Amino acid sequence: MLLITKNILNDSHLRKRVTFLTMKRFTLSLIVVCCLMGFASCDPYEEQDNVEYSDFFENVADHMVVPRYAQFQSDLSGLEESLNTFDASNVSTLISLQEQFKAAYLSWQFISVFEFGPAAEYSALLRTNCNTFPTNSFRVEENIEVGEYNLSFPSNYEAKGLPALDYLLFHSSQSDLLIELSDVSRIIYMQDCLADMLGRVNEVVSAWDSYRSTFIGSEGNDQNSSLSLLFNQFLYDYEKLKRDKFALPSGFATQFGIPLDTDTDLVEGRYSKMSFLLMEANLIALENIFLGIGENGVDGVGIFEKLKEYNAQSTVVDGDLAIAVQEQFIICKEAINQFSNDLPFEITNNISEVQEVSNELQKMVPMIKNDMRSYLSVTVTLTDSDGD
Amino acid sequence: MVTKPKSYSSQLSQWFYAETSIAPLVIFRIIFGLMMMASAVRFWAKGWIDTLFIQPANFFHYYGFEWVKPMGEMGMYTVFVLLIISSLFIALGLYYRWATIIYFMLFTYVELIDITNYLNHYYFISLVALLMCFLPAHRSLSVDVWRRPSISVDKVPNWTIASVKFQVGLVYFFAGIAKLNYDWLFDAMPMSIWLQAKTHWPIIGALFSEKWIAYSFSWMACVFDLTVVFFLLSKRCRPLAYFVLVVFHVVTGFMFPIGMFPWIMILATLIFFSADFHQKIIVFIQSRLKLKEREAIEYNSLFLHGFKKKVLTGFLLTYMFFQMVFPFRYLLYPGNLFWTEQGYRFSWRVMLMEKAGTAFFYVTDPKTGKRGEVDNSQFLTATQEKMMATQPDLILQYAHIIKQEVESRGLEDPIINAEVYVTLNGSRSKLFIDPKINLAELEDSLKHKDWILDF
Repeated sequence: MLLITKNILNDSHLRKRVTFLTMKRFTLSLIVVCCLMGFASCDPYEEQDNVEYSDFFENVADHMVVPRYAQFQSDLSGLEESLNTFDASNVSTLISLQEQFKAAYLSWQFISVFEFGPAAEYSALLRTNCNTFPTNSFRVEENIEVGEYNLSFPSNYEAKGLPALDYLLFHSSQSDLLIELSDVSRIIYMQDCLADMLGRVNEVVSAWDSYRSTFIGSEGNDQNSSLSLLFNQFLYDYEKLKRDKFALPSGFATQFGIPLDTDTDLVEGRYSKMSFLLMEANLIALENIFLGIGENGVDGVGIFEKLKEYNAQSTVVDGDLAIAVQEQFIICKEAINQFSNDLPFEITNNISEVQEVSNELQKMVPMIKNDMRSYLSVTVTLTDSDGD
Repeated sequence: MVTKPKSYSSQLSQWFYAETSIAPLVIFRIIFGLMMMASAVRFWAKGWIDTLFIQPANFFHYYGFEWVKPMGEMGMYTVFVLLIISSLFIALGLYYRWATIIYFMLFTYVELIDITNYLNHYYFISLVALLMCFLPAHRSLSVDVWRRPSISVDKVPNWTIASVKFQVGLVYFFAGIAKLNYDWLFDAMPMSIWLQAKTHWPIIGALFSEKWIAYSFSWMACVFDLTVVFFLLSKRCRPLAYFVLVVFHVVTGFMFPIGMFPWIMILATLIFFSADFHQKIIVFIQSRLKLKEREAIEYNSLFLHGFKKKVLTGFLLTYMFFQMVFPFRYLLYPGNLFWTEQGYRFSWRVMLMEKAGTAFFYVTDPKTGKRGEVDNSQFLTATQEKMMATQPDLILQYAHIIKQEVESRGLEDPIINAEVYVTLNGSRSKLFIDPKINLAELEDSLKHKDWILDF
């Protein structure tokens, strides 16, 4: 047996033939593997990942993004109209202006989380351009006085948008405001702020026409996938709410590591005293994405349904993850609703209960960062992970 | 009796230096060069140079390599240009010795900048690049040979190819050893979690929620890792083993975001094939490029004698010994390895656990008692934050990053605490480290970190 093998290998012709055969076998197996890869990469993937999240994305796009932007658009237009018909001698026109503003600020809360795709384009950057707070009232006054300003400059981020209007429309008593607003330059400034926002929102709205299919058709979970963009903005908006709207004014936060003193001037909606209302609206907006509730109130596919599908378990509290997050949203909303005044008042008079709210807001974070992230397998890591 | 061990070692030594065809080494050089070039180009194209080395405000260092710093925009792009050029030069066998040394130094430099980018396969590439500096892989089918025909050889000592096989084989074998743990084998964790997320796959997807599938995947992966090298070494089993290996890597490549790694391993393991096989490829390349075959020189300077030979043998044995022992250093630390991660890196523990953490850091001013939560996004990128939140040494480093920033802003001796919640393989999210400990006062060392809480 051994001898025969040796003989065969000694015959150079046969030997070549043997290696040729191994080569052939090798090429064959490579072809098989390539076919497998082709099979795996083409068909099933694309369709399946569509099926996987497209129902959720579709719900977000058609029942949240589009109608919520439309609402904000119409609220801004309504505000513009009220401003055009404003009569400084008629207090009811001021009141309707203020009411219109509040409606717009509330509907803003439902779109701030959509800061990806069109809204994240440099020309739009809605969150920065529409809602940089606290506003710099000195700069606002200076701009009005000088009468020359370019609202597109980053230096004016803190002097425009909703927070600037909040200041101009609410910073003193109605009678004082009526006197102030008889100065037409203040009206013009507000009109310019509105035009600035409207221009950007209109741009985002029309960009969504074509972005919608990109958004819904996005596959996988890499950093530019819709899943990743939406999840990361969901987390970011929540953390912004927790820090900027709540912890910063309450004195629970740091700036570059330095513990900050309580500063109630930092709240969102400071002058209109809407801080809690805005926070609540922001929470509801996030809750809606989580539950899949559209602007029309219909409960469709949300993260909740996806987690249920995965039978996801919470590691933070006992039991089902979807239920745990759902309940935590309710707890947070209730914690905010217990107050009868606005946040600055409660910080000054009720800091221990404010601290309680902070604890509840905090509990949600590991639910999102540890559990939701794992189950949705969202890649936070920009690069590859370790292979095997 | 006394002579037996001696003859054993001399037998090994004899085998080390016995002649073998250079062909596998040459093909490996070309594959390695081209793959590394592709990796660098891909890295650039994905924009990672910017996101990983230019954007971050702070970097996490390797213990003992705190002095390694990124070089700024121009510098980092230059480094990648050089990486691309040097890897191309390696493939071409042009100024091979310089190319390998430059490639090894720059690649390792890039990896040392930020430990949150650590991947076992980057470590693997650093090690192979280091080996390549010493291997005569340019002595055939290379521009160097065309320039200086006198260096051409067709035989090399066994150790050259064996050292590459050893390095490649080690990755699999130790990855297999690492899987020999309770969670992996008897709980099918974290495989169950990973498969759970793929249940929407067509046809097979429905199976992924089955527990027995998770078990079979775990066990198959473990057996595969432990045995594949030995099957690759056996001539008879090789074709089948390689086929299984390709399927394994392709499947994992599609299931997990592991980038170039599967493709690198699929091509790198070709080194296990026979010299004839590689000679065929060389002949094919020569006929395609219409190259003439070089006459190999008679005198082969690669075969060392006397003292030099002893030094080389000693070096190779030390290297092998180190590689086999280093992954076991975790035994020197108490506690659960996956939880504490003390001695976790550089040990081929790949895709072994699902760990996630949320870290709240607090700074207290000792004078006023004023305390506030740190906004991690003011210091770290999302990736850095995620990596930091599950690794105690990085948690400590981050505390010092905060301390430095805070002190530069005039707050002396800050008290820095961290409340970190970590879940491992789907376990309850637990407090990871002592939330009362002042991290600002601790210094990192290789000693056991007793402020890590029990799993």
